[in-house]
Amino acid sequence: MIFSAGDSFHESFIVTEDVYNGFIRVFGDKNPLHTDAQFAIDKGFEGKVMHGNILSGFLSYFVGECLPSKDVIIHAQEIKFPNPVYMNDRLEFEAVIGEISEAVEVAIIKFKFRNTLGKIVGKGEIQIGML
Amino acid sequence: MERIELLKSINNVFIDVLDNEDIQLTEKTSANDVEDWDSLNHIQLIVAIEKKFKIRFKSDEIRSWQNVGEMMDSIETKL
Repeated sequence: MIFSAGDSFHESFIVTEDVYNGFIRVFGDKNPLHTDAQFAIDKGFEGKVMHGNILSGFLSYFVGECLPSKDVIIHAQEIKFPNPVYMNDRLEFEAVIGEISEAVEVAIIKFKFRNTLGKIVGKGEIQIGML
Repeated sequence: MERIELLKSINNVFIDVLDNEDIQLTEKTSANDVEDWDSLNHIQLIVAIEKKFKIRFKSDEIRSWQNVGEMMDSIETKL
């Protein structure tokens, strides 16, 4: 196994207009919470709320591109979105290796995304396997 | 833990992981007998069983199992 329990990784991501537009173009989710600022404000948010699953895209990038091996596959993931993300928010991402099952070469990675105010906007865990 | 209790606990893990309430394991049950007990779900089952019993298996140990009873033998040595 290429990891040890407790190993940590850090990345920064920005939800740019390009990312936001790309997500809508590819997946077609134009719910007004994400596309109509006044609608979102009326619902109590500060502006258009970015799609939570944009963070899932960052997770995919992290697993596929940032780990010390490319021989990895995501088996499962859980993610919660405790606070909203807005356009151009810079997100600090931290991932920590949790449990490791050496016998089946599986690791559980716990992660958090924080915005610049330090608020957690995404958290959960990913189970990855080695190919 | 009594052998029958262990089997019941493992059965519950299988029900949860494979999302199939109808699973009724016996010690002779093998992967061929359980729908969806494929290679990916096998990994999920191992991870769930390790978590449930707070144990760790070795890869050669897992490969040697022919049925649920042999899995139980391994678990019992670690409890």
